[in-house]
Amino acid sequence: MIRLENVTRVYRRGGEKLTVLDGLSLDMEGGKFYALMGPSGSGKTTMLNLVGGLDRPDSGHVAVAGEDVGALEGAALSQWRADNVGFVFQGFNLIPVLTALENVMLPLSLTPLSRAERRKHAEFALELVGMSDRLSHRPQQLSGGQEQRVAIARAIATDPGIILADEPTGDLDRDSADQVLGLLERLNKEFQKTILMVTHDPAAAERAQRIVNLDKGRLADDPREGA
Amino acid sequence: MLPFSYTLRSLFVRRSSTLLTVFGIGATVAVVSGVLALRQGFTTMFSDSGRDDIAVFLRPGSTNEGDSRFRRQLGDQLMKSLPEIAKDAEGRPLAGMECYLAILREKTSGGKTNVAIRGIQPRGFAVHGKAVRVVEGERFKPGSDEIIVAKKLAARIRDCRLGDVLVLNTTPLKVVGIFESDGPYGSEIWGDLDRVLAALNIDNPNRVVAKMRSGTDVPALAKRLKKHKVYPARVLTERAYLQSQTAGLSVTLLVLGVMLAVIMGLAAVFTATNTMLAAISSRTHEIGILLATGFRPVPVFLSFLFEALLLGLLGGAVGCLMALPLNGLETGAMNFNTFTEAAFAFRVTPGVLTTAVLFALVLGLVGGAFPAWRAARMRPVEALRRA
Ligand SMILES: Nc1ncnc2c1ncn2[C@@H]1O[C@H](COP(=O)(O)OP(=O)(O)O)[C@@H](O)[C@H]1O
Ligand SMILES: [Mg+2]
Repeated sequence: MIRLENVTRVYRRGGEKLTVLDGLSLDMEGGKFYALMGPSGSGKTTMLNLVGGLDRPDSGHVAVAGEDVGALEGAALSQWRADNVGFVFQGFNLIPVLTALENVMLPLSLTPLSRAERRKHAEFALELVGMSDRLSHRPQQLSGGQEQRVAIARAIATDPGIILADEPTGDLDRDSADQVLGLLERLNKEFQKTILMVTHDPAAAERAQRIVNLDKGRLADDPREGA
Repeated sequence: MLPFSYTLRSLFVRRSSTLLTVFGIGATVAVVSGVLALRQGFTTMFSDSGRDDIAVFLRPGSTNEGDSRFRRQLGDQLMKSLPEIAKDAEGRPLAGMECYLAILREKTSGGKTNVAIRGIQPRGFAVHGKAVRVVEGERFKPGSDEIIVAKKLAARIRDCRLGDVLVLNTTPLKVVGIFESDGPYGSEIWGDLDRVLAALNIDNPNRVVAKMRSGTDVPALAKRLKKHKVYPARVLTERAYLQSQTAGLSVTLLVLGVMLAVIMGLAAVFTATNTMLAAISSRTHEIGILLATGFRPVPVFLSFLFEALLLGLLGGAVGCLMALPLNGLETGAMNFNTFTEAAFAFRVTPGVLTTAVLFALVLGLVGGAFPAWRAARMRPVEALRRA
């Protein structure tokens, strides 16, 4: 489903070259929940961005469901993102001036749905994450955990196949983190979403079905597969 | 497309910088509309008050009555022999010679200014009809040393109130009436042609005015009289004549308006650009989210441009509100053709307001274009890395 082939990503800053991903090859199955671990700076966010079509590899290929994402450009790439990927970031996921409902309706405005249908979809997504009673709250009126749940609702509003979450529980307390992880699990199990979640937290990673370890831009062994 | 509420609330969230920008654009718009309203008032007073059924006869080659001289005998001959001139009940031509001169008078507020004095013949009142209305006192008697003064002048110029005696050179002229007129006559002093000429020590009048028979082709008459062997004259309708008198000031005010628009507009555009750049910089992460979600650069560009446009619109509204109280305010300005002071009012017309709002929108558009372009060109990955 997600295939990285010999992917290299090099940042140039000044005269220096920083190889963040160094010939990374990896296959991920559709419908599975992956945790992506590794020390800070190992290239996790970079990899997530490549899979989500926010960034392009310097060499190699990133294919998602048979689509060569790195080759898409402009409007086609934007449309592909809108159709196929939902993003959840670490914090500040929501547009501050919009309510929870409006935030979730935002990606739906890129679909041909009518306003009433968009609202229905958004309300359904918010219900799924247990936020039905906070529709007209602004982000600053929500707790960190609630904000992440609204972010998840936004990520699934257009019903994309893949959810990319970059340290979604990084800023949360244990209970809120558990709720968010439970939600991701449920989305995977009940709705067959492919989930790729970056995390530092081994306990969080345990909730995933597979763990991918990155180190200095290369794959380290999955401790469980070795066993 | 991004929702309208997103734009509106983003503006509202950063109230203080929004207000500052709106005020900056508003002030610019107000000043520019002020100048336009002045020009409108001036133009309206001159061109709207002129009549099409009155012909003005000047000496060939002169552009205004101040530099025109008409020999008396020729004027008499012209009035008697032109069939196009309307007749009164007794069969006399509805026409008259007029003299016109700018005289330096003291203002009641101190200082001096040029005021126009006009001498007319007895049938002059009939020619001008309702355009000149005596509202206090009475008309001067033909052949007497009496004058009537425009209401606008009565309070502003010394010795011009009803009953006052105005001394012209050495001739004392008694103010027996106060009159109103919407046009430039509304800033003049009127007296008997012969008496005024005598007081000023001048022999000949400046122009002939005549009421024309309905259906008179004035341009054709103008063509005929241009090279007339006995009484050559430059002929035009009163409206055309007054319009030609506004050209100088009108252009000056237009140039002034454009200059102010450019200078203040640049400052306002600069403020708007700054505001939008600051907004975009503090919303970098937000823009990253929008782009990551699948919004394309064009809608993001349009959304920010729209935000700037809204700033412009608000500024335009504020500017109009600031300019509106000017409406009807009276002021004096120089008629550069005759160098007399004419009093007229600012006119904040729908046209002026429309121009003002369009101008404000342009300011917002120009100020917002670059910031919006910057926002749309952001790379989502980099935008997202900024907290
Ligand atoms: N736009 C960039 N320009 C230069 N260096 C970058 C850029 N983005 C990331 N990096 C660097 O690349 C490395 C990997 O970054 P990242 O993928 O965010 O790692 P992780 O998410 O695993 O912490 C880091 O050292 C980071 O500083
Ligand atoms: Mg990271």
